[in-house]
Amino acid sequence: MTTIITKTITKVCIPLVILFSISLLLAGHNNPGGGFIGGVMFASVIALMYVVFGLKYVKTFFNPDWAKWFGFGLTLASLTAFAAMFFGHNFFRSAVEFVHLPLFGEIELVSAGLFDIGVYFVVIGSLLFIFKNVGDDNE
Amino acid sequence: MDSFNAITVAIFLPFIFAGLIPVMEKLLKQRVGWFAAATALASFILIGLAAPEVLGEGHIVQGSISWIPSAGVNFAIYADGLAMLIGFIASGIGVLIMSYSNGYMSQKEDLKRYYQYLLLFMGSMIGMVFSANTIQLFIFWELTSITSFMLIGYWRHKPESIYGATKSLLITAAGGLAMLAGFLLLRTITGSFDLAAILSDPQVINAVKEHELFLITLILILIGAAAKSAQGPFYIWLPNAMEAPTPVSAFLHSATMVKAGIYLVARIHPIFSGTDAWFILVSGIGILTMLVAGFLAFRQTDIKGILAYSTISQLAYMMTMYGYTTHHEPGIGVAAATFHLLNHATFKACLFLVAGIVAHEAATRDIRKLGGLRREMPITFIVASIAALSMAGVPPLNGFLSKEMFYESSLEMGALLGGGFTFLIPACAVLGGVFTFAYSIKLIDGIFLGERSKEHLPEHIHEPPLTMLIPPAFLALLVIVFGLVPSLPVHTIIEPTVSGILLETAHLHVKLWHGFTTSLMMTIVTFILGILIYFRYDRIAALQDNFNARFPWISVNYYYDDAVDSAKGRAFKFSTITQPGNIKYYMTAMLLLMITVVAIPVITLATNIVPSTLNFDIAPYEAILLLLLIVAALASAVLPKYLPSIIALSALGYGVSLLFIYLKAPDLALTQVLVETLSTIIFLLAITKIPQKYREKIPKSVLFRDLAISLAVAASVFVVLLNATQGIVAPFESLSHYFIENSLPLAGGHNIVNVIIVDFRGYDTLGEISVLCLAALGVYNLIHSRGEEQ
Repeated sequence: MTTIITKTITKVCIPLVILFSISLLLAGHNNPGGGFIGGVMFASVIALMYVVFGLKYVKTFFNPDWAKWFGFGLTLASLTAFAAMFFGHNFFRSAVEFVHLPLFGEIELVSAGLFDIGVYFVVIGSLLFIFKNVGDDNE
Repeated sequence: MDSFNAITVAIFLPFIFAGLIPVMEKLLKQRVGWFAAATALASFILIGLAAPEVLGEGHIVQGSISWIPSAGVNFAIYADGLAMLIGFIASGIGVLIMSYSNGYMSQKEDLKRYYQYLLLFMGSMIGMVFSANTIQLFIFWELTSITSFMLIGYWRHKPESIYGATKSLLITAAGGLAMLAGFLLLRTITGSFDLAAILSDPQVINAVKEHELFLITLILILIGAAAKSAQGPFYIWLPNAMEAPTPVSAFLHSATMVKAGIYLVARIHPIFSGTDAWFILVSGIGILTMLVAGFLAFRQTDIKGILAYSTISQLAYMMTMYGYTTHHEPGIGVAAATFHLLNHATFKACLFLVAGIVAHEAATRDIRKLGGLRREMPITFIVASIAALSMAGVPPLNGFLSKEMFYESSLEMGALLGGGFTFLIPACAVLGGVFTFAYSIKLIDGIFLGERSKEHLPEHIHEPPLTMLIPPAFLALLVIVFGLVPSLPVHTIIEPTVSGILLETAHLHVKLWHGFTTSLMMTIVTFILGILIYFRYDRIAALQDNFNARFPWISVNYYYDDAVDSAKGRAFKFSTITQPGNIKYYMTAMLLLMITVVAIPVITLATNIVPSTLNFDIAPYEAILLLLLIVAALASAVLPKYLPSIIALSALGYGVSLLFIYLKAPDLALTQVLVETLSTIIFLLAITKIPQKYREKIPKSVLFRDLAISLAVAASVFVVLLNATQGIVAPFESLSHYFIENSLPLAGGHNIVNVIIVDFRGYDTLGEISVLCLAALGVYNLIHSRGEEQ
């Protein structure tokens, strides 16, 4: 798995795939995509990096605590759900707002989008957390 | 501040200030107890602000804040005389207890935790008595159980504390659950959780009494009350609760928390009383408990043990009196019971505080080792004697008055029932009084009179500091004042309370001297018999010990211990059957369940097992793909090694995602590819750990059985899928129209799948991502716990 070809291709892929996963996350409300797919996409490219370069080596320069990621995601998602209650609505009531920004044109802001970002982080965090722990155990 | 706000603040102030205790402890160090006492005093004053309206003018203060309006549950307050009485007792005794604790608790103890629990308890107790709503009442009720559990188990290193704490929680919290069931039935009958609404409507009360669920509702609520007030077989938790620090026993387990059950009985009195069931259940349990607990007190050697049994017996007095009821006169004993409730709080809390002083100064609570302390602790001796004589019913103390009222109401009840009851009920009352008299005298005699033991007691014993002496002395003063001037408590608080219970204005006349009445004769008889029994006190105690040693099964504790001790073994036996540990048993169970609950209904609902309108027209490339899928699936099952088998499985997965693209589901295809990739990697990581011997020897019979299950599952999935192509089967309707129509207008999104995930089914998704987090933590634990075992 560690030929020079895979290493080179992986290096090129990582930023592209991460950008793509973010675009999937943000586009999700109207086009194919969403927090879950985006998250799995992100997780898979990090997994690719772990596999190609070796977990031990990757950890020397890139070693986030994935538990914090899913902790953050779950908090964000729950807060989005609770937020509606502070505005006097029921739990989980969503809101849609259209904002006009220069250069970008019409932008749609959805509270469910924030929730989706929470999902995104939970998926990334928990998958890579499992992945890293099982991988660590192998060494 | 109006009364409603004052009471609301009085409830929540202790909760908020309990949170401030750690900060205050940094500031005040070991004097933090005074902060807690000040909080209790503030609550007392706040309740007092409502007194002119409730006690003076006789109004019932009500008010509510919207909480869960859709379920008919609000945070609501119902402040009548009864609630005020217990509210005053809880906060007032709270002030004394928390002041006393400043002297009692060693400065090395964890004072933060102690005062926090005390304040939390006090807030819960006040919240409970002012609740107008059964659900709110239940929540505060269980909060008092939990804080009591924390306080009994305060000394965590002592196994007895843990035993006592567990016992009290198991019994009182379980009783609370029975009570909740009773409240739910009450709602079924009346349609309301609102006690105020039920109490104010005579028609509703009549409907309850005539309803077929009346008896079971009453029994369930009474189980809660009896468990909390240690009545009937549930009494066993209270003696073990004495492991708590003594101020806690004085506060929770004599003056306030154990009165919660009595409070509940008084609160539901207007709804359920006046029926035979009420008299039989409430008075029946009361009389039995009163006699048995009073008798069993003889055996106790710990002074707190004697006080615990005496508390059970005294609470039973109140139960009995609240139970005295006939159809025409529902509240014969209500005034007497209520007055006794107040009096008991004063003299019993005082006695507990004295027990704390004795244990603190003499370093033992064993009545066989104590004795002759009257010279060294004269003030404590006087205070204790006042309280104990009041409990014994000696004039001119307040216990005498309420005991006289008890005898009067017993006579009246007996006369109304007629027949043998005319003598039986007063006789039981006198017998209860005789036991009380005997153990009250024992307390004074055993601790303060007689010879001082040299070998068991420290050389120098002296009076306690003033912080510990003033609270019981104050209570003893109340005992005398209430006894000499009974009109003072009776007119200010007992009358409004009785009016609150009977729902009509009550006028009481309580005098110290009321002539040579039958009840006075009964009191004299009580004293004579009490003195006679006292001479045989030790012999009776020895008799009880012998009897108990010979027949251990006579005690309720025997059954409790048996149930709790064997619980672990029984749970283990149960779980070895339901959780065999080997994955194939779980798979078998799940697959069989799937066949029964999914396949069978679908097949029976569908008119034909194989629909007649099947469309076999598929494009050639789809056919090739499907063929490849079948080959990959078969390969994954039959290939001899892990690695090729897993590759075949991922080939199957990627093939499916290709199929999704043909079927115009890009979302699904994308997800499928990614999930397949990740699961393959995890698979590869995992197979290095397991033995590489892939083919284990499987007996033929097992092979056939597994094959049969697999084929049945495959066949039923096949049939279900065939039928699914027909659309939704008859009695059900398709949901997809709703999502397609409303996705854009309601949620502003074009991607229906995503809108369903994050918006329409957001609740589900929240649950799913929580599960995902838990699964990640579970994997972590599995890996690391296995490491520890090695």
